[in-house]
Amino acid sequence: MIAVLQALADGLMIGGVYGVIAVGLSLVFGVLGIVNFAQAEFMMLGMYVAWFAWRYLGLDPLVGAALSFVAVFCLGALVQRLLIQRIMKAPPVAQIFLTVGLLIVLENSALLLFGPEFRTVKTAYQTRALMIGPIFVSVSYLSAFVAAVIVSGGLWLVLTRTWIGRAIRATAQNPMAATLFGVDTRWIYAVAFGLGTGLSALGGGIVLSYSSVSPTSGSQYVVLMFTVVVLGGLGSVMGALVGGVIVGMIQSLSTLVMPIQLQNLALFTIFIALLAFRPQGLLGSPSR
Amino acid sequence: MAALATLAASNAWSAEPVKIGILVPLSGPTAQFGNNIRNGVELALEDMKETGGLKALGADVELVYADVPAPNAAAAATQRLISQDGVVGIIGSFVSSITLAASEVTERAGVPMMTHSFADQITSRGYKFIFQVANKASLFGEKQLTYALDIAKRAGSPVSKIAILYEDTAYGTAQAKGLRDTANRLGIQIVVDESYPLNLTDASPLVNKLRASGADLVFPVSYFNDAILIIRTMRQQNLDIPTVGGAAGYIIPDFKKGLGDLVEGVYSIAPANYDALPAIAEKYKKKYGAFMPHEALMYGAAFQHMVKAIEVAQSRDPEKIRDAIAALRKCDGFSAGLPGGCTAFDANGLTSVAFPVFVQWRGDDIVTVYPPEVAKAPAYWRGKEVK
Repeated sequence: MIAVLQALADGLMIGGVYGVIAVGLSLVFGVLGIVNFAQAEFMMLGMYVAWFAWRYLGLDPLVGAALSFVAVFCLGALVQRLLIQRIMKAPPVAQIFLTVGLLIVLENSALLLFGPEFRTVKTAYQTRALMIGPIFVSVSYLSAFVAAVIVSGGLWLVLTRTWIGRAIRATAQNPMAATLFGVDTRWIYAVAFGLGTGLSALGGGIVLSYSSVSPTSGSQYVVLMFTVVVLGGLGSVMGALVGGVIVGMIQSLSTLVMPIQLQNLALFTIFIALLAFRPQGLLGSPSR
Repeated sequence: MAALATLAASNAWSAEPVKIGILVPLSGPTAQFGNNIRNGVELALEDMKETGGLKALGADVELVYADVPAPNAAAAATQRLISQDGVVGIIGSFVSSITLAASEVTERAGVPMMTHSFADQITSRGYKFIFQVANKASLFGEKQLTYALDIAKRAGSPVSKIAILYEDTAYGTAQAKGLRDTANRLGIQIVVDESYPLNLTDASPLVNKLRASGADLVFPVSYFNDAILIIRTMRQQNLDIPTVGGAAGYIIPDFKKGLGDLVEGVYSIAPANYDALPAIAEKYKKKYGAFMPHEALMYGAAFQHMVKAIEVAQSRDPEKIRDAIAALRKCDGFSAGLPGGCTAFDANGLTSVAFPVFVQWRGDDIVTVYPPEVAKAPAYWRGKEVK
């Protein structure tokens, strides 16, 4: 019983973080209709920004994550204006080529600029855990989870309560109608892409607080990211968060009955079953 | 006159540099190790020039790099080194699966290749042109356990239950098998035997199992990122079980950078350690700002062995160089820093002198603590010095 509770607690916290890194991917698809294969590379860049902020400004990575968001937001918006905008109406193959190419360019630029070594941060709470009854709650997971919840809440507020949020949702629903109502959709596309990549970067900063960064860190998370998003429903922001928690839980609970090596087998078995019965994802709507 | 012309031509030929291919991952997930190897080989070349080792060769040595991040790129890159660049030998490639793929090409082409990759298959395929300067992975697994058991016994805290955690690629699986077989042979109980995917993002399930098992000793065979996650999560849960790493991620400078004081006292098995070669290690540290990792030392030694063999063979014919590599026993330069003090090979091309050593973290350094004949300092077990 204790083992189950422990697995649930671990799964919930790690899943919350998965949700944040994946929500950006979902947002980009929902608004721009583009599957961004380079999304995890933006997360990796965010991890580097947070690392430099920790190393040279002494900022905790959870705080530095805010800088990651700002820096990658700008980069993402720029990439959208210069590159993505050109393939918005292109066939899907061209879109795949561009984003996969972007993935390779970003990964190798990081290798060129930062070198191949792994970088980690050291924080005081990294090796602490709280005892809640018989359950260990890792302080770094807990703070990452809290940060993830705050970010999700913030995103929800922006999307529902602000003009820009309404404009993003309007553009996602029907770009033509949004234009007719005075929304400059090209600008919204840049903002949405910046927001999406920025959120993954922010998630990267959160992940860095307990993990490490190297130019290939993105590839470590890319499959998880897509699983989370498809599970929750591609394009659904809430779905990504729910999907994240579910993925974390499945991974964690499956280790109670199966070898850890097979935790992704459990994940993908459930994933395939779900796709068979509910292809639009848990919270996705059938159309998109 | 004609004879003079021939002489001049042959002089021009001999002045042309001898090319050696360095086939390592310089990008991708293991890029860091490839870069360390490059540092090591370049320092080894510098060292040979300074000590006049290249004079007898009568020509310069040129390093030709090929970046191979994954096994699927190995065959084409090896072929290119041989047919386009005209290398007379190849050094590489850290990752066992890449070495296996590359050595099939070198074998067909009849060009010697030297490696320190651990996988057992490398020198058990009956190939003539591959040379392995480190021991096999299964031996590392075996020694990892027997060395640790002996230290524990001498520290007065005998071990009866062990835990094995390993990443599920060729290296982790092979080393874990060595550990498992040895434990079964010695009647040691294995209470956790778990493999995990290399791109592990959360170590808590592993550590939860470890904590519940009551193991006396844990053997994590991991890369770098997984090593960091495992050690941090263990410390979070106040687990202070003695830890014996399986080389790779546990014996690079970044391990300390990532974990700080948590690394103090962590053990690892290693194919070689820089403290056996203080003068060169000092030079390396000055030049690259960190201690010399074992792969820099081992590939430096392999490279010097190959250059020496070319000099002995007095030929650029890969076949003759191969024979010279096989016959040579080199005990100076970088080779002196390997356990056993030499590079030399048996009939299969496997090292005939090297043996694994045990190292332990002390401050910013790793120190050889076992076996006694090569130890530089006494081992510490749970903070107490082992006599």
